[in-house]
Amino acid sequence: MKPFTVLTAVAVPVRLDKVDTGMILPGRFMRQHRRPGHDYANAFLHDLRFDESEALRPEFPLNDESYRGAEIMVVGADFGCGSSREGAACAVLDYGLRALVASNFGEIFAANCLQNGILPVYLSQWVIEEIWRQLENAPGSRITIDLPAQTLKAPDESVHSFEINKTRKERLVRGLDDVDVTLQYMDQISKYENERRKPWLVGDSAVRRAVEDGGR
Amino acid sequence: MPATMFEKIWTDHVIVAAPEGEDLLYVDLNFVNEGGAFLAFDQLRMERRTVRRPMQNLPITDHYIPTVNRHLGIPGISNPEIRHVVAMQDDNAREFGLPHIHMHHHNQGIAHVVAPELGLALPGMLITCNDSHTATNGALGAIASPIGASMQLRHVLATQAVWLKKPKTMRITLDGMLPLGVWAKDVILSVIHRIGIGGAAGYCVEYAGSAIRAMSMEGRLTVCNMSIEAGARLGMIAPDDTTFSYLAERPLAPKGDAWEAALTYWQTVLSDEEATFDREWHFDVTTLAPIVTWGTSPEDCSSIDGVVPDPSAMTDAEHRSHAERALQYMRLTPGTRLAQIAIDRVFIGSCTNSRIEDLRAAAQVLKGRRASVPGMVSPGSTNVKKQAEAEGLDRIFLAAGLEWRDSGCSMCNGSNGELVAPGERCASTTNRNFEGRQGRGALTHIMSPAMVAAAAVAGKLTDVRTLMKS
Repeated sequence: MKPFTVLTAVAVPVRLDKVDTGMILPGRFMRQHRRPGHDYANAFLHDLRFDESEALRPEFPLNDESYRGAEIMVVGADFGCGSSREGAACAVLDYGLRALVASNFGEIFAANCLQNGILPVYLSQWVIEEIWRQLENAPGSRITIDLPAQTLKAPDESVHSFEINKTRKERLVRGLDDVDVTLQYMDQISKYENERRKPWLVGDSAVRRAVEDGGR
Repeated sequence: MPATMFEKIWTDHVIVAAPEGEDLLYVDLNFVNEGGAFLAFDQLRMERRTVRRPMQNLPITDHYIPTVNRHLGIPGISNPEIRHVVAMQDDNAREFGLPHIHMHHHNQGIAHVVAPELGLALPGMLITCNDSHTATNGALGAIASPIGASMQLRHVLATQAVWLKKPKTMRITLDGMLPLGVWAKDVILSVIHRIGIGGAAGYCVEYAGSAIRAMSMEGRLTVCNMSIEAGARLGMIAPDDTTFSYLAERPLAPKGDAWEAALTYWQTVLSDEEATFDREWHFDVTTLAPIVTWGTSPEDCSSIDGVVPDPSAMTDAEHRSHAERALQYMRLTPGTRLAQIAIDRVFIGSCTNSRIEDLRAAAQVLKGRRASVPGMVSPGSTNVKKQAEAEGLDRIFLAAGLEWRDSGCSMCNGSNGELVAPGERCASTTNRNFEGRQGRGALTHIMSPAMVAAAAVAGKLTDVRTLMKS
């Protein structure tokens, strides 16, 4: 995972609330292995970026040349609500964004972003409105996100603090993967299985029977 | 110290505690649907990892399989991308040595229907699944958490543990007796309407109160199922006699001495009377009426005797702009009576409302009547299907002119290609009315199974109570 420390980048304002994961990655795009050269960049917010004939919707901010190269997107409330489709976070990453800023995110989506090295930044809606205004008045303006300091510097140099859970912050800053961290605790996991698991759950014969004979 | 049910079960599964951060928790049982799971298996392969405890990880194929012509098998799936996803799940289960409830299995069904009905989901368990409606299983008194389909799922498969941030606790107390024609679906829609789709974000919700206590297991599963629609990843209901009677009949629940030991333990995991919740809500269900959605978010709903709201009358700017866009998408005019909205088709199914009680409620309305629009019924599992056929429900649906399908997620989100056409209006028992959820340009109204049946008969959204009286 790519470490995330301090990012200064062009930010694009997208004034839309309740953009759900189905809009971020429409279902028809998520049926193939995701690998280099065949990723979800084109699928990202596809139906908002393109019309029915696959022509660019010029009014959509991501299609506006003045925000070219944006790595930060400032969006409306509840971005990423809806189904837990992991590919939605992958689509954000593949499109080239490293941070999303909103007053609230779909919880599962936000967790998926963090697992993929994308930082969701939570700020109050009035700050979001203010940043939208600044970005629209001077398209192409940059924002600085300092994860170790947990601050975001808007184009007008105003600095806003944000919250992030401690575990995710540490892993993101150091680019640490969860499985590698957990492998240090394998003894404790085995100990849990041997000593603390409920006797009526151990053996897991129920699953075996579910597939073998359906319990009949 | 007094503790809530959630706190007790959580503490019981903590392997590494990290205050202010995420705890490492033990996963008793992990279900794997094919939607996106291939990303996790791809990752495991690249990292040369194996599945640590194969018998605690159960792939159940439900999202991408067709609900017709299943005898043709995987080669019979005409869309190559969909076929590929189903085949990948088969291959991955085989390669990693996992048990698999595949499309031809006699226990096949939607994961969140299959797990409770077989007795795999039990009180006190910690369950995960790569699906946002995993909290359905919380109705039994379990912590049932959605996890991401790639990185998080791959972590559970490799370690049988999961890193989760401990949520805050919320109790939603629902008191009163449900009026005739009002169901669990109406209860949860009313809750989402009141607290909003972000209202329970960051919380584990415990549903309590006399209305919950009086509810069947099926109804409770429906309530917990839609916790995520209020923003909560976890929803739970304390196990009681209803739960225990239900479990006693489950084929794979503990038996004999194991049952006695389990029962003793289950009675200790209830919330202590002095336990406090971070947030409390109280609602009275006595005055509820059947509810339908009018917009593109589950909170956009109203009782059937209402009208399409007027965005310009909304004081909150965010609500106003959302409602404007929603009505434009839904092709609805403010002030239109909800009971006058004509529909093009119906869908009865999904992990929200496809259990036997749901099918009975719909069949009761359809009995002796004809649907005036096309539609399909997809039972929640192959076992539900058998049960329904034994009760003759299939004949009622067929006689009404609806299709009687096999089990799967189907038209709830259309990942198997069974879609609502652009511009078509569908009365649906599902959980989400988001833009494009049932297909691009599909216009979804969600409601209870009885209300969908009533809509099918009338060809428009209809108060089911008028059909129940006649």
